[in-house]
Amino acid sequence: MTAASVVLQYRNVRKLYGDFVALSGVSMEVRRGQVVCLIGPSGSGKSTLLRCTNALETLDGGELLFDGVPLPKEPAAIRKVRQRMGMVFQNFELFPHKTAIQNVMMGPSTVLGLSDAQSRDRAEALLAKVGLVEKAGNYPANLSGGQQQRVAIARALAMEPEVMLFDEPTSALDPETIGEVLNVMKTLADDGMTMVVVTHEMTFARRVADHVVVFDSGQIIEQGPPGQIFDAPHQARTRDFLGHLGWDA
Amino acid sequence: MNLDWSIVPASAGALARGALITIALTVLTMMIAVPCGIGVAMLRESRLRPVAFLATCFVELFRNLPIILVVYWAFYVMPVVFGIAFSPFLTGLVALSLNNTAYNSETFRSGIKSIRRGQTEAALALGMSEAQAFRKIVLPQAWRRVLPVLATTWVTLFKDTSLVSVIAVGDLAHTAMQIRSQSFRVIEMLTAMAAIYWLLGYPQAKIADWIHKKFGVTE
Repeated sequence: MTAASVVLQYRNVRKLYGDFVALSGVSMEVRRGQVVCLIGPSGSGKSTLLRCTNALETLDGGELLFDGVPLPKEPAAIRKVRQRMGMVFQNFELFPHKTAIQNVMMGPSTVLGLSDAQSRDRAEALLAKVGLVEKAGNYPANLSGGQQQRVAIARALAMEPEVMLFDEPTSALDPETIGEVLNVMKTLADDGMTMVVVTHEMTFARRVADHVVVFDSGQIIEQGPPGQIFDAPHQARTRDFLGHLGWDA
Repeated sequence: MNLDWSIVPASAGALARGALITIALTVLTMMIAVPCGIGVAMLRESRLRPVAFLATCFVELFRNLPIILVVYWAFYVMPVVFGIAFSPFLTGLVALSLNNTAYNSETFRSGIKSIRRGQTEAALALGMSEAQAFRKIVLPQAWRRVLPVLATTWVTLFKDTSLVSVIAVGDLAHTAMQIRSQSFRVIEMLTAMAAIYWLLGYPQAKIADWIHKKFGVTE
C-alpha cells in the first residue's frame, strides 16, 4: 500500500499563554484516512494542539499546513477551513435551545446554505448513523451524556468534513455511556474518516489508532504505531505515564 | 366625611385615555429600550476601548440618576442645550427609554456573559462567523435567561411611567391628578387611580411570575 497523502502537517508548532509554554515546538503529521490519538498527562498540550488545528487558538510559532496550505489568517478563509474539519468537544456543547435534529441541521442550513428539506434529510441520515433517529425531537437536556455526544458527532459530520477532531470526547461521560460513543467513533474510523483524537481511553487508542502521539509538558516525547507505544515504548516517560494509568507496558 | 364617587364614572373617558397613554408609554419604551439595550451591551464589550468606555459612561450615568430628574432634564434642558423640543409624550418616552436602555443593557450583558465560551466555539467550529454565532447561538440563549429580569423591569416601568406626569404627558397619573385638582375630589380620584394602576399592574406581575417559573432556572 502506498502511503496516503498528508492532510495535516505540524511543523515546530509553538503556543504560549503569557509565560506558560503550552506547546514548545511540536512536529507531526496526519495522513488521509489515519486515526491519530494524542495521549499524555492533563495540561501536556494535546488539546491545545487540537484547538490550533481549526484555528480556535492561534499559533505563536511554527507552521500548520492543511492539505499542503498553511492555515490562513483572514476570518473568511479560516471559516472555509473550519467547514472542512469537524470538531467534537469534551462538554458536547450542543446548542441547548435546539432539538437534536436542529443541532445537526445547524451547520448545513446556516453555513452551507442548504434548504430546510435538504439539511433535514442529511441530519436524519446522520442521526440514524449514530443510532438516535428516535431522539431527533429531544432537546439536549433530555438526552443522556452519551446520546448528547453522539448528536454532537452527527452535528460535526453534517458539514461532511475531511477531518474530525475529537477533544477528549468521553471525559465528561458516565462510564456506562463511554462505550456507545467509542463505538460510533470506531465505525467512523472503519469508514475511513481521518481522525485526530485527544483521549485518555487507552484501550480505544490501542485498538483503533494507526498512530499514537505521546505528549508531555508541551512536547512530543514519543510517537509511533500503537504496538510500539503500548507494548514497547522507547521512552521512560511514556512508560511512566502508562504506568500511572495502570497500563502494564 | 362627604364622599361623592360619581366623579369617577363621570371621568371614565378621561381616565381611560390616560390609562391608554400609560400603556403606550410602557410598550413603546420597552420596544426602544430592548434593542437599544442589546446594542449598548454589545458596545460595552467592544474591542475598541473608546467605544466601550462611552457605552459604560452612558450606562452608569442613566442607571444612577433618578428617573424624575431625567424627565425634568429632557423637558427643560434638552430644548435649551440641543435645540430639540419634543411634545411632552415624546419627551417622556425619551427619558424613560434612556433609563431603561441603561438597565436592559446590564441585563443583556450579564445574560450574554453567562453563556459559556464553548457555545461560541462550537458554532465557530461549524464554520459560522462570529456574528452568526452571536445571533444564532448566544443571543437566543441569553434572551431566555434574561426574560425573567426583563419581565420584572417591565412591571417596574409600568408604574414608573407615572413619573412623567410631572411634565404633563396626559398619562393616567397626570389625568387623575388634573381631575382631582379641578374637582377637589381628592380621596375619590386617588382611590380610583390606585385601583386602575393595580388592576392593570396585577396581571402583568402575574405574567412576570409565570415567566420567572417557566424560564427562571434551566441547566
